[in-house]
Amino acid sequence: MNPNMKFLLVGLAIAIVISVAAPFLASPDPDGLESAAGNIIEESEFAELEESEPAVQSPMPDYSIEGMGKSGEILAITIGSIAMLLIAYGIGKAAKI
Amino acid sequence: MHIPDSFMPLSQALIYWAIAIPFIIMSLRWARKEMDDMKNPILAALAAGIFAIQALNIPIGMGTSGHMVGATLVAIVLGSPWAGLLVLTLVLIVQGFVFGDGGVTVMGANIINMGLISGFVGYYTFVGLKKRVSMSIAAFVGAWLGLFVSSLATAVELWLAGTFPLVPGLMAMGTFHFIIGIVGEGLITTIALSAIARSRPDLLSDIVKDIHGGAEA
Repeated sequence: MNPNMKFLLVGLAIAIVISVAAPFLASPDPDGLESAAGNIIEESEFAELEESEPAVQSPMPDYSIEGMGKSGEILAITIGSIAMLLIAYGIGKAAKI
Repeated sequence: MHIPDSFMPLSQALIYWAIAIPFIIMSLRWARKEMDDMKNPILAALAAGIFAIQALNIPIGMGTSGHMVGATLVAIVLGSPWAGLLVLTLVLIVQGFVFGDGGVTVMGANIINMGLISGFVGYYTFVGLKKRVSMSIAAFVGAWLGLFVSSLATAVELWLAGTFPLVPGLMAMGTFHFIIGIVGEGLITTIALSAIARSRPDLLSDIVKDIHGGAEA
């Protein structure tokens, strides 16, 4: 077996552990960009920016699944991590074709 | 540091896409040349790990949080900043389209900031420092600087977009990401790299060899 497949499996295990823990551990505070925006943009203008809809509606906005609470967040992030693994592996393979 | 759609007019957002696309193509060329059955599982594992860690916002005080970007770590482990750009591009595409994190129209700008600027600044800072200081310190400083510089670039872009005033934007983005760069980027990059160096020193053999070569020269 490819010796680096163990690296892949350990990496996947770490990613899943983080995916399950993140909904409980992640800080709900705004990130650096949002916080900067909140501090320096005028309040009414900032509210408008925050409320405006994204250009494309995403199926799992804010890493959550509607009506599923924390378990939905765990599921969303775990799905994302596994999807990333498959996509990156696929791109790596496809790049050689 | 994911810019949402509303923060940038479409005309400007498309310019960043136009700048980003040639770089994305170059990262795919890198993959075509360098990827093989040995490196592919490493790329996949890093992509999954970085997606997950980006969902873990760390509190930095001042009512603010931040998370790792990861381009520098990927670049160091796979030995090329193009690897960091490729992984961050894939992560940002999934985040933007599936999870609504970072706008789709402004994705080009997000790819430039987090994939290109943070990874290239981080990787070449690491390469420049590793002959003089330990691998851990070089990685820490590189990862920190990459994130810090990309946050300043983001502030300038949002000034051009008419969303941020220039100096307050640079000050606020710089202050928050100075700290995020230490706890979110520098520390985690160093820990992950040390873990890989301990468990799979062969993966980083080029880096280690270079350090020894540098000491002799």
